[in-house]
Amino acid sequence: MSNAADTELRAGYTTLGRQVALPVLGLAFLTFLATWVTTFQWIDESRTVLGLTVLTVFGVALLLMAAGVAGIGVLSRFGYIDTTPSPTAGLPVGIVFGTLWAAIGMAVSFQYLGNTVLSWGPVALVMGAVGLLTATLPREDIGSTVPSALLLAVLGGLIVAGVFDASWVYEAEWTGAIFPGSELIPLLVSGATLLGAWSAGKAKEGFGAQGREAGAFYIIATVVFSMLSVLALLIWFIVKNGLDTFLTGASLTGGHLNVPFTGLSFPFVEVPFVTNVTGSLFVETPGVMPAVVGTLWLVFGAVLFAVPLGVGAAVFLTEYAEQGRFTQVVEVATNGLWSTPSIVFGLFGLAFLVPRISGGNSIFVGQLVLGFMLLPLVLITSRESIKSVPDEYRDASAALGVSKWQTIRSVVIPAAMPGTITGVILGVGRIAGETAPLLLVFGGAPYPSASPNVVGQFSFSTEPPFITNQALLEPASALPYQLYSTITAGVFPRPEIYSNQEFGWGTALVLLLVVLGLYAIGVASRLYFRRKLHYE
Amino acid sequence: MSSNRQIDTDGTDSQLTTAGESEETVEDAWSDYQYPGEAKLSVEDLDVYYGDERAIKRVTMDIPEESVTALIGPSGCGKSTFLRSLNRMNDRISSARVEGSVEFDGEDIYGGHTNLVELRKRVGMVFQAPNPFPKSIKDNISYGPRKHGDLDTSLLSRLIGRDDRESEMALVERCLKQAALWDEVKDRLDDNALGLSGGQQQRLCIARCLAVDPDVILMDEPASALDPIATAKIEDLIEQLAEEYTVVVVTHNMQQAARISDQTAVFLTGGELVEYDRTEKIFEDPESQRVDDYITGKFG
Repeated sequence: MSNAADTELRAGYTTLGRQVALPVLGLAFLTFLATWVTTFQWIDESRTVLGLTVLTVFGVALLLMAAGVAGIGVLSRFGYIDTTPSPTAGLPVGIVFGTLWAAIGMAVSFQYLGNTVLSWGPVALVMGAVGLLTATLPREDIGSTVPSALLLAVLGGLIVAGVFDASWVYEAEWTGAIFPGSELIPLLVSGATLLGAWSAGKAKEGFGAQGREAGAFYIIATVVFSMLSVLALLIWFIVKNGLDTFLTGASLTGGHLNVPFTGLSFPFVEVPFVTNVTGSLFVETPGVMPAVVGTLWLVFGAVLFAVPLGVGAAVFLTEYAEQGRFTQVVEVATNGLWSTPSIVFGLFGLAFLVPRISGGNSIFVGQLVLGFMLLPLVLITSRESIKSVPDEYRDASAALGVSKWQTIRSVVIPAAMPGTITGVILGVGRIAGETAPLLLVFGGAPYPSASPNVVGQFSFSTEPPFITNQALLEPASALPYQLYSTITAGVFPRPEIYSNQEFGWGTALVLLLVVLGLYAIGVASRLYFRRKLHYE
Repeated sequence: MSSNRQIDTDGTDSQLTTAGESEETVEDAWSDYQYPGEAKLSVEDLDVYYGDERAIKRVTMDIPEESVTALIGPSGCGKSTFLRSLNRMNDRISSARVEGSVEFDGEDIYGGHTNLVELRKRVGMVFQAPNPFPKSIKDNISYGPRKHGDLDTSLLSRLIGRDDRESEMALVERCLKQAALWDEVKDRLDDNALGLSGGQQQRLCIARCLAVDPDVILMDEPASALDPIATAKIEDLIEQLAEEYTVVVVTHNMQQAARISDQTAVFLTGGELVEYDRTEKIFEDPESQRVDDYITGKFG
């Protein structure tokens, strides 16, 4: 019985309801995690816990959750728990449960009654109607607990009773596909736990507006959690597969840090996979240094090309051009350019830039092509951030008799800088991992034996073009290109050291680190400009 | 520069004109205001349009130097528009169009080839909402002079030892003292101006305006976003500034106008100047019945 509810304002806050709902929520969360761990086979579904197989444990958990959720609903309906339910759970809830029940009816009747519409249609319709009505007709405390408790109980009961077990197979006639129970059951259970969590969340806050709020919160939190898990999984997978290669021959003190001009040398971290060249026969551990250097030069050149042009164009379009048809067309065009597939940019570079600039694949053309790709994003984000600089600044500056260009230079652009840098960060993340255009305009030998020596190859002359750089006009390797060629080659030139897969995973890990490093630089510079703007 | 301006006289598009009767009032009430000293700004037959809408209707008035002129009137009566036409800030609104003339020290600022940079240096403006730049307090003050080349604090000049950092500091101190803000911020001149309170920000904006050494300061409801204490400080400041500068203040607070101004212009709906006279006269014995109604709160 409730021991709260001494005033109207506190109505709906019941200790008993919470005491039941909280464990149900916890159980749902743990079961949800466990189902995914099982789906990915980190726990074998035949493993036993306390004498029960994992799947049976899931079933028991579902039954417990069903009992808890239904219990709260029924107690609340008959007034033993003080809650504030609405008259009905609402049509959207009804539609969800109706669809669920109809789907179950369809799946089952397909299996046992046959695959004609006449045989499964009525069953699905009736089941759907039952789901819809049980959710919408009763008061909210019943309508949002009992239907989900029923689903949980049916699924849990079937699992505990052994109808569904690891060896059970759902052979769906309507697709011809086969779903093994070991995969299907964890997925079904994970879906069911979401339902249970939703019901328990609503029940915990005593239904009504607050309950719906809580229900939505638990659903959204789960979705966010799943998304983060997918990301973490991806990164963990790359690290797990690439770490062995990455750390080949690595040591904490084996390397040397040479201080320039002093002749001093200190012991330093040694990671040969990162610091060695790829193709030479004389290195003990082939590495990806040339590709790292190539990627950095590509990104550097592209940023150097795209940022001034993009910001300049954004200033013109936002501050000077008359807002009208012309700016609209430019806006549509830049958005379109940003969504243009990268291979198209590559083809343009191959057909137009390569014959005119280097006559063959080269770093410089790669930089230009990636710069073209980066340009629209820099333009779009700079425009947005320039637009969002308050007009008050422009007015204040104009009222002081400061010209437009000076205002743009000393007020507008500094205030727009953080937004622009965000755009550059996003764009660099994309172009650093770009492979397709590099295949066409950039890539050279897949296993280079030296890094591109861009800095050392500048030569100056008194005749146009005054500065030449042979290294920029030659092909090189970049990390994504390296990865692609290693994997498609099917074999690494020195199979006694790495298989091509091992080398590929190592390259992927280094690529990930390089992109994250560039990202960190971007975030730091954005922070710097933001500080400068706000906390000077 | 004056592409927005049209030379032709009053068209047929004055849809906001209420009746012939009000035209009469316009003719009568403000024509004979006698003031001591010279006219700093002299407005004649000024019309301002936004697109087809006429926001200011045939305004003629002289603004005497070294005094406070208050512009009062209900919302939407065009007093801010009028103020913005005195330093051509309306040029920044593409749909705005101005007819008539505004003479500043005898020169028509709408007369073609006006140097807007020079005009706005000499006719400064303070806005309704405090709008300091996201820079340090010091940089906010020295921004104008720096951009005009009066102060050189660039890296190059620092390297060759010819920068104006000392005169910059002197300027900052003078302006902040004039704006009665020095004591509050002298220890944190390098802090971001956005960290100041609203009233301090507004006084900083006034100081920033003083830094470019204007003759006239236009203020567009400078205290409407501030609390009573900050408002009182701004009002004191305005009275002090009037000893050296010509101040024009838009306000919709009639008590404020009565407290601080030497003469008051009353704008009523439709952008017409209904009455313009000594402040005491306006508030105690206005000529026009409509002004009397407005001031005693019967309408508006």
